[in-house]
Amino acid sequence: MEITLVQGLLLALVAFIGSLDQQMEVFLIFRPIIVCFFSGIVLGDVQLGLSSGAVAELAYLGLLTIGGTVPPNPLIAGIMTTVIAYTSGVSAEAALGLSLPFALLGQWIGMILSTLYSGLMKFADDICARGDVAALGRLIALAAFGKALVSAVVIFLSAYLIQEPITVLVSQFPEWLIHGFRVAGNLLPGVGLALLLKVMLKVDNVAYLFIGFIIATYVEMGNVLPIAIIAVCITFLSYINSKDRQAYDVGGVDDDGI
Amino acid sequence: MTVSRNKLTKKDITNMSLLSAVLQLGFNYERMQAMGFCFTMAPYFKKIYGDNTEEVAAAMTNNIDFINTEMHMATFLNGLILSLEEAGEDRELIRNIKNGLFGPLAGLGDAIFWFTLLPISAAIAVSLNKQGSILGPIVYMVIHFFGAISRVPLGHLGYNLGTNAIDLIRDNATAITKAAGVLGVMVVGALIPSYVNFSFPETFVIFDVVPVQGIFDTILPNMLPLGFVLFLHYLIKNKNVNAVQLIFGIIVVSIILSFFGIM
Repeated sequence: MEITLVQGLLLALVAFIGSLDQQMEVFLIFRPIIVCFFSGIVLGDVQLGLSSGAVAELAYLGLLTIGGTVPPNPLIAGIMTTVIAYTSGVSAEAALGLSLPFALLGQWIGMILSTLYSGLMKFADDICARGDVAALGRLIALAAFGKALVSAVVIFLSAYLIQEPITVLVSQFPEWLIHGFRVAGNLLPGVGLALLLKVMLKVDNVAYLFIGFIIATYVEMGNVLPIAIIAVCITFLSYINSKDRQAYDVGGVDDDGI
Repeated sequence: MTVSRNKLTKKDITNMSLLSAVLQLGFNYERMQAMGFCFTMAPYFKKIYGDNTEEVAAAMTNNIDFINTEMHMATFLNGLILSLEEAGEDRELIRNIKNGLFGPLAGLGDAIFWFTLLPISAAIAVSLNKQGSILGPIVYMVIHFFGAISRVPLGHLGYNLGTNAIDLIRDNATAITKAAGVLGVMVVGALIPSYVNFSFPETFVIFDVVPVQGIFDTILPNMLPLGFVLFLHYLIKNKNVNAVQLIFGIIVVSIILSFFGIM
């Protein structure tokens, strides 16, 4: 069945609101099970929304953004699974497979924006130096609505205007360019960590940087909690030692209690 | 010079916890959730310091560093930081506590919300969907609505914890500042291998057979990410290179290296 202009615009609205929630990960209405339901309502086929939602949700389960990695976009995948099942009449399972190019496109755009948004940190730094709370709010809103608008446009084009050309575009897109952004995305946190070290690193704690690094390199761990516990133990031991030394060293060096 | 500070109310902490939903807006690879994390607390820095813009600016600048944690745990951290800021604690101490805690808290939050609550809610909703019932999406939304507002008690928990610990922190200020410094630096050292991925593909070989990455891995795994961060640190601290130049330099070089198949 054909999608009307009004339906195309309403789907774009679902994508816009969904994208805001996807960025925040607050209400989880960007998950396939919810966006498929709303897409089904827009298309006048609630049962289709429910069945495609069940299929797409299971497929994207466990593919949430964890630790900064971006999965193929579940929001775009959810909407497009419903749309493709509706327009071409294929099963929800088949539509899910056909939605993959759009989910990939969504992932690439998200990755490129997160890379380029690194440039916004300079403005954020300037705003913080001025103590301008409202300006920081505007910057964040601009960044958020920018991303949401891009998602809405992608869905409008994919669902209503040029579904076929987009599938072709994705299959022919230069892999090196996407890979280049992926490489940049893997390296950019280095800048953030280097800026952190600029303020934190001192001669008397630089050794701990290497201890933390070596443990994390050689010991497989799900998160850095063990490292934190080791750090607390080390400081506790040195605190106890310094107390002992103070107790026995009569007239020892004044080391301000540490 | 003494700085006057206003007290935050319970309502402020509740509102701050709700505002903390913006954590990931403006997300970027350089400092990840920095903007949202800072903006969550910024209005309350303003409330604490009133017209003293200088102190507001200092508090904001202290919280615009790299941070990446689980969003509910971020609210807990926001509450904790506000209590310390309100009590006029040393900013270096606050910064070290934040940097030491966000990583371990992320592990805890991911385990509760993303590896437990999400799969369970999805399993329930999908089974309802398959019966053709619109209860599926509704149940899913209700579960995650409660998940979303659970950040309010977490914000209060962080704030109260900080407030109750103020005397303890004051009495042991030097020891705690030093401990927090060790904690922060050690955790950042441990974050380098997981956040910075600097490696050459297996297809990049010298003398036709020797993979370049293999050489580095034999010497010390992850030495490239570590060397890369230390090099950037050197450029920023000693050469006064600004972050914007680094960011766009990295993007351009990454794309060029990718084109030639080197990375």
